Amino acid sequence: MSSAIVTQQLVKHYTPEIKAVDGIDLDVERGSIFGFLGANGSGKTTTIRMLTTLLRPTSGSGQVDGLDIIEDAAEVRKTIGVALQEASLDDIQTGRELLTLQSRLYGVPAGRIKERVAQLLRMVDLTDAADRWVKTYSGGMKRRLDLAAALVHEPKIVFLDEPTTGLDPISREAIWREVESLNKSDGVTFFLTTQYMEEADRLADRVAIIDAGRIVAEGSPTELKAEIGTDVITVRIPGGAENVERAKQALKRLDGAADIREVADSVVVYIRDGSTVIPRVVTLLNEASVAMDEVTLKRPTLDDVFLRATGHHLEAEEAQVTAEGGAS
Amino acid sequence: MNFASATFYLASRSLRETLRQPGIEVSNLFIPIFFFFVTVGALGGIAAGAFDVDNYRGFALPVAVLQGAAGAAGSGGLGMVTDIERGYFDKLMLSPAPRLSLVMGRLVADGVRVTILTVVISTVALIFGAGMETGPGGFLALVVMSGAFGFTYSGIGMAIALKTGSPQAAQVGFLVFFPLLFLSPAFAPKEVFEPWLEFMATINPVTYIIEAQRSLVLDGWEWDKLGYSAAAIAGFGAFTLTLTMLALRTRTA
Repeated sequence: MSSAIVTQQLVKHYTPEIKAVDGIDLDVERGSIFGFLGANGSGKTTTIRMLTTLLRPTSGSGQVDGLDIIEDAAEVRKTIGVALQEASLDDIQTGRELLTLQSRLYGVPAGRIKERVAQLLRMVDLTDAADRWVKTYSGGMKRRLDLAAALVHEPKIVFLDEPTTGLDPISREAIWREVESLNKSDGVTFFLTTQYMEEADRLADRVAIIDAGRIVAEGSPTELKAEIGTDVITVRIPGGAENVERAKQALKRLDGAADIREVADSVVVYIRDGSTVIPRVVTLLNEASVAMDEVTLKRPTLDDVFLRATGHHLEAEEAQVTAEGGAS
Repeated sequence: MNFASATFYLASRSLRETLRQPGIEVSNLFIPIFFFFVTVGALGGIAAGAFDVDNYRGFALPVAVLQGAAGAAGSGGLGMVTDIERGYFDKLMLSPAPRLSLVMGRLVADGVRVTILTVVISTVALIFGAGMETGPGGFLALVVMSGAFGFTYSGIGMAIALKTGSPQAAQVGFLVFFPLLFLSPAFAPKEVFEPWLEFMATINPVTYIIEAQRSLVLDGWEWDKLGYSAAAIAGFGAFTLTLTMLALRTRTA
């Protein structure tokens, strides 16, 4: 299968010190859903802005649908659909007006616009709200309208920048269903950035993890999880960093641990046959007089893949970002 | 999508935005009409003796019109900033519409808004006795000249908006008009100025627009003045459009 999106050593340095994207190679198969996973400030949005011609790369190259993102930028724009982070809409147009203008700018034949707009409104379940100003829409409605706006010209490659950040679970599910349906029924290729593991796990055929502007892991979610090759035991320790360090030292005496890491208020142990090891974990911590709040055992998730690749949790950052009131 | 069609659709959208937020135009209308009455009230009685102007209402009409034009065109930059802040400008940049049309749509809309404001302000001034020596043809020429000035003046706010993305900075688009206005023969003829002010007025493009409009109101068809005005608007437009295009380029750097 041919590639929909390819990059070679793509770089964007805002200043010599700020290396937002620092040499990434991507190869996204046509007809697939590609998940680009990273924390805030990791380089996801900068990458998507370069691929969609909004930003000139400092160096390197990229092709979308075989078209160069610098030399053929105007042609690239005709080919792709894009929904940027935090639904970028015009509040004082109605949903129908916004889609109509979008259709005109994308050259949808005048005789087809009315029908196409009505079809898109039905698809994203906004027919009843079509003639209301966008500013009266909920966050989920805005995201659905933004998705519809990205699809007016029936693109075969669609970029979605954090399409569900800040949405409630029901709205998130609605977006996911649309993406899955367009991918399966129309063969649309999706390049989606996300900071949600669940989203990448649910939708993506392949995932790349970006950290500090570099890709640190890439593969299908199943492959990436299998690469860890062990169970994951997480022991939450009360009483601060000193106790966590003591717990880590005590658990180093475990036989067969592939890796032991301190992460925030926990110690994470990667080990085979985790269920048989838990009693030994408890014994070692008791012997070292380290208290425990919680011990959990699970199969590896994408979060564990992320943790192994970057040294930090993504989900913890999500919680922090939410608590601070928004994502960048 | 060709340039003309994209510009038309984007200008229509911008005008629809104006219709939905009419409050902004109220101040663009109120301030110049207020100044018109205040200056006529203050100077109208002495104008004939002080600088040989019998019809100060007609003398003041172009100032009111250009003040309205600058206000309306200055707020065009704010519309652009709002689009940038909401991210909607990125959505427009992602479309295949020629990028110049994204700016031109707003400039054309500002030209249309200024044209409509000029008709209203001039009509008020005419009702209160400003007069129009050149009749309906002159009225039409005055309106077209103001619309063209609004189109070019809007480029300042647009360039600032594109460069900074800041609403505070975009307000400067309007403030720039004050030196242009006060360094012109807005309130008295150039001939009574001190030499330094006369020099500043001579190099100020607004001077030639005011003098041409004034000639239409007070004196009749003076083609040399109309020609200077057209040249001033073209030169000023070339300058502001260049600024705007340079600012647009920096948004994708």
